[in-house]
Amino acid sequence: MQRRSFLKGLGAIPVALGVGSLPILAKEKPKLKSKNAMPFKKALEIVTNGKGAKQSAKVKLIVPEIAENGAVVPVKVNVDEPIENVKSIHILTTKNSNARCADVFLSPRNGKAYFATRIKLGGTQEVVAVAVLKNGSAIMAKKPVKVTIGGCG
Amino acid sequence: MQIDRRDFLHIAAALGLFGVSAKANKRADEIKADDILDFNPVGKVTLLHICDMHAHLKPLYWREPSTLLSAKNLVGTPGFLCGKAFLDFYGIKPGSLEAYFDTYLNFEELAKKFGKMGGIAHMKTIIDEIRRDRGKDNVLLLDSGDTWQGTAVALKTKGEAIVDAQNYLGVDVMVGHWEFTYGKERVLDLIGKLNADFISQNVVDNDPFSDNFEETVFEPYTIKEVGGAKIGIIGQSFPFTSTANPKRFTEGWSFGLRLDSLQGYVDELRKEKKVDCVVLLSHDGFSVDQEVARKVHGIDFILSGHTHDPGPRPITINGTTIIIAGSHGKFIGRLDIDIQKGRVKNFAYKLIPVASSLIHADKKGVELVNRWYKPYEKELNQKLGTTKGTLYKRDTFYSTFDALIGEAIRDTMDCEIAFTPGYRWGTTLLPGDDIVMDNIYEMTAITYPDVYTFELQGAKIAALLEDIADNVFNANPLYQQGGDMSRLTGVSYDIKINAPTGKRISNLKINGKAIDPKRNYVVSAWGGNLQNAGKNLRETKIMPVYEVVSKYVKRKGTIDISNRSNVNVLDVACGCPKKGGVC
Repeated sequence: MQRRSFLKGLGAIPVALGVGSLPILAKEKPKLKSKNAMPFKKALEIVTNGKGAKQSAKVKLIVPEIAENGAVVPVKVNVDEPIENVKSIHILTTKNSNARCADVFLSPRNGKAYFATRIKLGGTQEVVAVAVLKNGSAIMAKKPVKVTIGGCG
Repeated sequence: MQIDRRDFLHIAAALGLFGVSAKANKRADEIKADDILDFNPVGKVTLLHICDMHAHLKPLYWREPSTLLSAKNLVGTPGFLCGKAFLDFYGIKPGSLEAYFDTYLNFEELAKKFGKMGGIAHMKTIIDEIRRDRGKDNVLLLDSGDTWQGTAVALKTKGEAIVDAQNYLGVDVMVGHWEFTYGKERVLDLIGKLNADFISQNVVDNDPFSDNFEETVFEPYTIKEVGGAKIGIIGQSFPFTSTANPKRFTEGWSFGLRLDSLQGYVDELRKEKKVDCVVLLSHDGFSVDQEVARKVHGIDFILSGHTHDPGPRPITINGTTIIIAGSHGKFIGRLDIDIQKGRVKNFAYKLIPVASSLIHADKKGVELVNRWYKPYEKELNQKLGTTKGTLYKRDTFYSTFDALIGEAIRDTMDCEIAFTPGYRWGTTLLPGDDIVMDNIYEMTAITYPDVYTFELQGAKIAALLEDIADNVFNANPLYQQGGDMSRLTGVSYDIKINAPTGKRISNLKINGKAIDPKRNYVVSAWGGNLQNAGKNLRETKIMPVYEVVSKYVKRKGTIDISNRSNVNVLDVACGCPKKGGVC
């Protein structure tokens, strides 16, 4: 997919405020220790202000079990809380060199605490969705996504 | 043993065909057509189920696996049973017609006794008898897919011969997998010719320019009035089509299990559409569908497919009953359902073996088959050689037909390693059988048949094998893709199936020497996208696999393939373990 069409795709989803980092769509390159490298633990610490996040059924994370294309993995997050209670939604991964994929800051005008995007996964790992609530606490959900060269018929 | 239709009906009438209770496990020579169809009917609704026919319009021999290994937690469960473990689990007597259809045991001997399996003309006789007995408005024929691909006539008519056969059989609803390898346009074209509903809740438009972005490409479900009841049927095509087969065929369509939307459609059918029974027509694979039953609530029946398992008995998980009807047209599943006051009250099931030598062939079916084969007869009947031993497909790591393909590729391409995909479809040839061109297509008839030769680094080969092993042996069925391990010629290795991901394979040798992770090896491969991972593609050497194999067989004349596998399994002692890994 072209970057242009990808952006158009994003446009079709009625949310997307302040997307922290867009996935890179170029072909996978050999792993280099990037200046932007950030491990999962650190990323979680930053987005939750050092408090960490509790697993909660209120965060609904929809990802494919097996990625069709590791470079554009669709992620949907729906937080089962009134919009007034949700400050931000964050999408993290456990093994990408930069674990911090998207930070979305919401306001009541968003209507609903929902966000959808596509992220790049460097390999099989977990995707983590964090919702920071107005009271400063954070809740999260995580799901594994398998990235494979492909299998057998 | 051949009986004609009149005799068949005569026997049926004399014995009260559908009233006699099952006479299980008769002596082989006592089996008659009436035993095959014997059934105690229940309720008013009958669903007939077929799956994974792989375009076999004519009867064939098809040997079930002699090795079917899996992660420890799945060993000995339905979907991972073969040989004696299978017979013991289902209580089937060795040497019976069922044992012949369901396992590899004494296959050659029983093949002589019971003959070929499947074929649309024989399937039609069974389907018509059931329709006649139950009343045609009370019967649906549901097809779990992998129907359009697998033989020369399918490939050469781009699926049209098979759609014609489905219309002749009277298929009412279908889903897909290999169907998609004809490409989007052709798929839609063929659906136009098909008298059945093609449904899928898990094929979604993924093209951001499209007006239908994020909407299902096909109707997600269909509702049928049968036997006075409303049956809601949801479609589930193969969730991993775009990773298991080339993406280019379905560019802009996204697949996946999509259990969230599946739950949504189940609820919609129950609450809004007020159906009496919810059916999932699926190509997920038998073990994946057992997980689906655990995770999605409110499905009455899953009619499964993809993994080619014969399922003589239904299994019920979390209130959902799952059936699966083998492959290659060998079986028709008959599910009778008693629906009362908007609920499923009772059901009865039988996996009917399509024993072609015991069942009359419907004349129109024979004509249809002849008509589609006629233009290709000369090419397809051409004798290329003979085989000394049984040539079969299946098994987890190694099969003789795959070994023949690997040998042919190595001999032709002068490569160090040949990769052949672990598909579960093909054919079986008995010792002494002629090998004709049609047989080669039965093993290789795909729309992307080219054999590519290129260089691949040792480290990449090792990583690749681990990746494939994780798709086959993952302890969680949702992360499997339902095939067998890729077959390698020129390579030997040890495997510990229950070792962690990425650590299963050891003692990896290329042509007898330990693999050098830094060296580039000359590899030939077909049926996948491996060539994209390699370099220095030999562009002048690209050739369709059916051409490679047919020319090789012709050169050799007599084919004699060893039964010895190139893979040594360290943590399981036999090919068909029972629960707990007992051999």
